[in-house]
Order: sequence, then structure tokens, then C-alpha cells
Amino acid sequence: MMNLIILLAVVVVAGAVLSVQAAINGRLGETVGVLRSSLLTFVVGAVSTGLLILFFEPAHAVSLLDVPKWQLSGALFGVVYMMVMVGAVPRVGTAVATVAVIVGQLGMGMLIDNFGWLGNPAIELSGSRVLAMVLLGLALVFMYRSSTRQA
Amino acid sequence: MQSSSIDIAAAPASKPGLRLLLLPLVILAGMGLSVEAGLLGPLGVQVGHLWATLSIFGVGSAILFLLLLFSGPQQGPALNTLPRWQLIGGFLGPMYVVVLTLATPHIGIAMTMIAILSGQVGKSVLIDHFGWFGATRKKVNGERWLALLLIVAALVLIARG
Repeated sequence: MMNLIILLAVVVVAGAVLSVQAAINGRLGETVGVLRSSLLTFVVGAVSTGLLILFFEPAHAVSLLDVPKWQLSGALFGVVYMMVMVGAVPRVGTAVATVAVIVGQLGMGMLIDNFGWLGNPAIELSGSRVLAMVLLGLALVFMYRSSTRQA
Repeated sequence: MQSSSIDIAAAPASKPGLRLLLLPLVILAGMGLSVEAGLLGPLGVQVGHLWATLSIFGVGSAILFLLLLFSGPQQGPALNTLPRWQLIGGFLGPMYVVVLTLATPHIGIAMTMIAILSGQVGKSVLIDHFGWFGATRKKVNGERWLALLLIVAALVLIARG
């Protein structure tokens, strides 16, 4: 229980870090273009992760070359996401695009959890999980309403 | 690697027909983010969290490099003329991906996504309220506090299982 709370706190902080990153990259993307700003992010990310691995990662029996290839396809989804957003946001608007992404994210997340797809442990959809989704949905509605009022 | 940015703002939209065509595509892109997170968790357990993170940034770098190479000359200033602080975004991305690989096996993908969204929303409300990072201090209205409260309640629900 205690571990779970710490883990949850770490994930929340990661969300905050991510939105700082999005803000910095957004500025960068406006000046140098999305492709170059993303490449920069990914290269710096790869190099810094590589350094961490060299100095801190313990040896593992299984390497990236041993796992089934489909397990390495995660980055493709990130790149496709980026390109879809670049094309769609100017046409459908930021608010609609954001909500659509979250709907897709949470919907797919629930499906993967519920059926244990992709080798994940199956977590059945419980009442409190559904309620958590509903609360988040309401929170997004309030965020949206307050931002349209200010604009 | 990216997640949706939560700084919701109303933006002008175009023809309704095009919108209807694009929406399923955007939803699919969002589903892809969860698939990415779903791939990361088990991979991290097998090969180590940092290696799983490297697979994302390594493959992503390679694909983007090829895309950039074949999309021809780019507009705008050269990267080495930009202010240095704009380049630190690259260090923040891996933190997020490592946390994803750590968390999803324990709390599941949907709940990880909710916690990430909470951090995004919470950060924007708190930065505005306290004026952190040199942001102009804005009064945060009741609706945004209510949003934050709902999110905290959602997190409590997840923590209780």
C-alpha cells in the first residue's frame, strides 16, 4: 500500500515533468519545426539513457536483441502520434484533439488492462476504476470550461 | 514517448466534414500511446527499465533522422543558434519513459495514464497560482480548483484499488 502511494506520486510528478517538456518542445518546434525539435529530443534522450545504462544498469540475462521484435515497436506509435497531431491540431483545434487523444488513451488502456494484452498482467475493470475515469472526465470538462472563459 | 498535452485552449476549427474524418484518426493516435505504454512495461521487466527506454529513444531517433533526411531542407534557424535551455527537453523525456516502464506492471496502463494526466493538470494549475518558473501569477478560478480536486479524488480511488 505504502509502495503503491509512492509509485503513484512518482507517476504524477512524471506527468508534471512531461508537461514542462511539452512546453519547452512546443517553443522549440515553433522556431525550428516539429521534425527537428523531435529528433533533438529523441537523440538527447537516447544519448543520456545510454550513459545511464553504461554506468548504472546491472547486467540482464535477456537483452533487447533476444525479445520478440514486436516488443520493440513502441517508438513507432509515438512517431505516428506526433505526425497525426501535427496534421490534425490546426484543423480540429487543440481542445478537441486533446480530448480525442485522452479518450483513445484511456479507452485503449482499459482494454489492455482488462484483457492483459501485450503480455501485461490482466486487471479487471472494477467499480472504483470506472469511477476514477468519470472523475477525470469531469475534471477535463471543468478545465476546458475555465480555459474558454479566459480566452 | 509523447503524451497528450493538457493545456487545453479553445482553438479555431475548420470544416465540420473534415473534422469528423480526422477525429477517429486522432483517437487512434491516442490509443497508440497506450499501446506504446503497454509494450514498455513487460519489456522493462525482461531487459531492464533503462534498456526499454533506450529502445524507444533509439528507434525514435533513427526513424526521425530518416524522415528528416528525406523531407529536405528545413525552415528556421540552425539548432546551434538557439538558447541552450531550449535543448533540455531531451533530458526530461527519458524520465517520463522510465517511470512508465516502472509503473504500468503495478497499477496498469489506464491508471498510469490517469496519474500522468493528473500531474499535467496539477502542474498547470499550481504554476498559474503561485507563479513558479517566472510565469505571471494568475488567479486560478474555482472551476480549475474543482478540476484539481476531482483529479486527487480519482488518484485516491486508484490507490485504494
